[in-house]
Amino acid sequence: MAISEATRGELAELAARYPRPRSAVLPMLHLVQSVEGEVTTDGIHACAEILGITPAEVTAVSTFYTMYKRKPVGTHHIGVCINTMCGLLGGDAVYAALQERLGAGHDQPTADGMFWLERIECQAACTHAPVMTVDWEFMDDVTPASAIDVIDRLERGEVVQSTRGPAIRSFAATERSLAFPDDGLADEGSSVDDKMLAGLRVARERGQAAPAIPSGQEG
Amino acid sequence: MTITSNTGAEVAKAETIAVTVDGVGIEVPKGTLAIRAAELLGIEIPRFCDHPLLDPVAACRACLIEVEGMPKPQPACAQVLSDGMQIRTQQSSPVAREAQEGVMEFLLLNHPLDCPVCDKGGECPLQNQAMQVGRPTSRFEEDKRTFPKPISVSAQILLDRERCVSCARCTRFAEQIAGDPMLELLERGAKQQVGTATDEPFDSYFSGNTVQICPVGALTSAAYRFRSRPFDLVSVPTTCEHCASGCSLRTDSRRGTITRRLAWEDPAVNEDWNCDKGRFAFTYMAQGRITTPMVREDGALRPASWPEAIAIAARGLAQAGSGAGVLAGGRLTMEDAYGYARFARAVLGTDDIDFRARQSSDEEAQFLAARIAGTPATVTYEALERAPIVLLVSLEPEDESPIIFLRLRKASRRRPATVVAISPVRTRGMDKMAATWLPAAPGAEAGVLDEIMSGGSLAETSMAELRDRLQAPGAVILVGERAADVPGLLSAVARLADATGAGLAWVPRRAGERGALDAGALAGLLPGGRPLTDADARDAVARAWGIDAGSLPTAAGRHGTPLLQAASRGEVAALLVGGIEFADFPDPSLARAAVTATAFVVSLEQRHTEVTELADVVLPVAVVAEKAGTFLTWEGRPRPFGQVLREDLAMSDAGVLSMIAAELGQPSPGDVPALRRELGSLGPWSGARATTPGVPAQAITARAGITLASWRLLLDSGAMQEGEPHLAATARPTVARLSEATASHAGLAPAALVTVSGPRGSVTLPWEPAEMVDDVVWLPLRSPGCGVFADLGQVVGGEVAITPGGAA
Ligand code: SF4
Ligand code: SF4
Ligand code: FES
Ligand code: FES
Repeated sequence: MAISEATRGELAELAARYPRPRSAVLPMLHLVQSVEGEVTTDGIHACAEILGITPAEVTAVSTFYTMYKRKPVGTHHIGVCINTMCGLLGGDAVYAALQERLGAGHDQPTADGMFWLERIECQAACTHAPVMTVDWEFMDDVTPASAIDVIDRLERGEVVQSTRGPAIRSFAATERSLAFPDDGLADEGSSVDDKMLAGLRVARERGQAAPAIPSGQEG
Repeated sequence: MTITSNTGAEVAKAETIAVTVDGVGIEVPKGTLAIRAAELLGIEIPRFCDHPLLDPVAACRACLIEVEGMPKPQPACAQVLSDGMQIRTQQSSPVAREAQEGVMEFLLLNHPLDCPVCDKGGECPLQNQAMQVGRPTSRFEEDKRTFPKPISVSAQILLDRERCVSCARCTRFAEQIAGDPMLELLERGAKQQVGTATDEPFDSYFSGNTVQICPVGALTSAAYRFRSRPFDLVSVPTTCEHCASGCSLRTDSRRGTITRRLAWEDPAVNEDWNCDKGRFAFTYMAQGRITTPMVREDGALRPASWPEAIAIAARGLAQAGSGAGVLAGGRLTMEDAYGYARFARAVLGTDDIDFRARQSSDEEAQFLAARIAGTPATVTYEALERAPIVLLVSLEPEDESPIIFLRLRKASRRRPATVVAISPVRTRGMDKMAATWLPAAPGAEAGVLDEIMSGGSLAETSMAELRDRLQAPGAVILVGERAADVPGLLSAVARLADATGAGLAWVPRRAGERGALDAGALAGLLPGGRPLTDADARDAVARAWGIDAGSLPTAAGRHGTPLLQAASRGEVAALLVGGIEFADFPDPSLARAAVTATAFVVSLEQRHTEVTELADVVLPVAVVAEKAGTFLTWEGRPRPFGQVLREDLAMSDAGVLSMIAAELGQPSPGDVPALRRELGSLGPWSGARATTPGVPAQAITARAGITLASWRLLLDSGAMQEGEPHLAATARPTVARLSEATASHAGLAPAALVTVSGPRGSVTLPWEPAEMVDDVVWLPLRSPGCGVFADLGQVVGGEVAITPGGAA
């Protein structure tokens, strides 16, 4: 799809935020995904033109990161962490259940194009393993059943609240937030809870601390 | 005209440090890389990604060495040495050897074992180094990664991804050297591969270099793929015949057929690179060749024997004598040009001679006689690289002298804003050289130069500052052959050079022009820049030629347009024509009329052309690969080369001219060593030179219409690019360029066509907005679908009309 003048304007606004405009290529590609549903050739060209670099250079970046997709993602992106913690604590089972429920494999859309399923790497949320993400918002401590319930509710158009963030919007909306993070949603939901601080508490109780940094190696 | 050399007291002696390599002490300049220090001792460390002219990336890890005091092996290609450092290579360190073997095994995991069908086989760094430092067996038992093969990264360059070792040489070349980062490493991770954007191929003028520096057979050219094995080839060092950059090449042939050409290393000129025209455009040599002499009988050409054709040519030319004219063309070797220059004066007794088959002027001839002909090479590539400022006048190096472009880009990577370009259009080439653009409408360039002299100001650029910068030691002004389009421009260039002390060099496009100039193939000029009107000069030349000085013409003859005009009126008794094309002249119909109206025309040609069709005697001559010779670079540097093909020999132009002379009882040298000896015996000219022209800058009168700007693209409809479709497919598209304001004023819709009309006709083509002077349209001079001279009948700087030209 051709990139609209309005989007071009926003892409240029992102480029203008950095002393070296090409630093903006990551948020710009997120913005492209928010309007195109994927990183399209038109989107790559728009970024390249605005940044004064070649489409190949933009392509090199967009193919480096798995968060940039080359097929339409659909309304919601569903991620299941399958790294060590989550995998062992049930992530593999959650992924298998969702695969069956959605009829889609890794990094694939569902037949109706509503969901995109992806095995994802550690989200630094291991305290709440196994985690699932919906449009990159956390669904902590999921089970196969609760994960499928999330899908069911999304399908019915119900409001789904992420466990530590705002109510689920859409892949497009999240991609826009990744381009323009000042979406006013930063304080929705708690980011720290008791489970996360448990380790710290135990360490304090036992008087444990990290070894001191040898002198001369600070920073 | 001289450059103050930047050595001696100004530059402190490079600081050296002491290091040991495999226990052997050596002093190297500070900042030396470990791999280079080892090379100095004759120790070869294996490498793939390392290339002396590319920034280090340490991507392949083949070069691991042990560095005293470091816990892990380090890549030698990125290890900057410091004083006292002790390094050990595979020669003395088991750790380094083990590491290198491991990397080699790793690189071979996914590498197909298809050496027997791979173009690189026999000259492959991977093959060679796997034999040298690899283990004889691999522990890898799984399936190798495969890809559908090959993919085209451009119409010319193909990629077999499974052979790639991800060394990033090709991508670094594209970005750092050529400035065309259209080739990138994509899909980082397990699927890492080289590729382009989905809809933008790697159409760089320099793309072929990636095939040459790829250390494996991953990149191949459509032209050479599967054509031969390296060990079946006969290689000869040659010089490129396509432009005055003067690249050193290696021409490979097999059984009398050229199979490929490579850039050959020459640090003083082309370093390790060349352009795709020089690399791929050689198939023309085998196409449409004239195989036998021909003479006109009853209005038609018929084949003739050499003795018969030579006799007829000699008789006709002798009859015309001093009434004859000579159009030598700009593609000759210096020896052949000298043959024409000598034949015209010594045998015919005429000075009506010109090598310039293009827009030219009397002012230009005078400028060349005064400032360029026979002068030693003082402004060199090295001087460009060191210059504090290089002012480009009527020269677009990327199209018109690609190695100048690469050198200036190289200089600009260290010192941006070195290059200042006066041009109607701001080009991508300028951006790649980090050049400052000084806008000037076609025809207004001389005024801008005078503006610099007087220190005025133009737009945002301070002319006084420019003038000061041009006064710095080592400053250079490069003026292209297109300056002849603008009355007063070459005079202004000389004035500015004299006023500032900047070095001055003239950059013709064709490979033979500078040599032809120095050989005396221009009216008024004898070899070595000797003025024909100078009696001492005539004496010296007559002595060398073994003739009576009194038999030489004493008055400067006609050249360029006046010569063609006289011929078209039937006032020239005979024409001796070398390799020219009518379409190259600003008035192609005048050139055609000149040949048509002349009673007796002798054409020395390689291939059938419009000229041979009209000639009375056609004598086939050798293409560049069939003879030895010399080209002079734009610097004036001689580039001698040897003969590549030795079967079915055709004679060189000078050889044929010597036969005609002999027929007339006037022996003259015809073979290359004899020609070189005689030309060399003349030596340089130290007498008075012609005076520099003083044509005033023309006042620009406001005109209602649009002014035409144009130059030739590197890849275009040139006759010497015929027969190489893959190369042609990488040429820039034929588009007109206009400023947004001019386009909207003319009512041009975006992405639509524009019709540009001149006195003779019009061309309709797509247009693109460009940053350029308003009320100017830029067209490619001779590209498919757009021949400015032939189709429009207008010259550069002339007036044209633009109209919306229908839907795209
Ligand atoms: S294609 Fe060749 S030059 Fe390019 S990265 Fe691969 S191996 Fe290196
Ligand atoms: S730059 Fe000129 S001399 Fe060098 S290869 Fe290209 S055409 Fe030939
Ligand atoms: S392993 Fe899943 S969040 Fe860390
Ligand atoms: S040559 Fe040193 S890492 Fe490639």
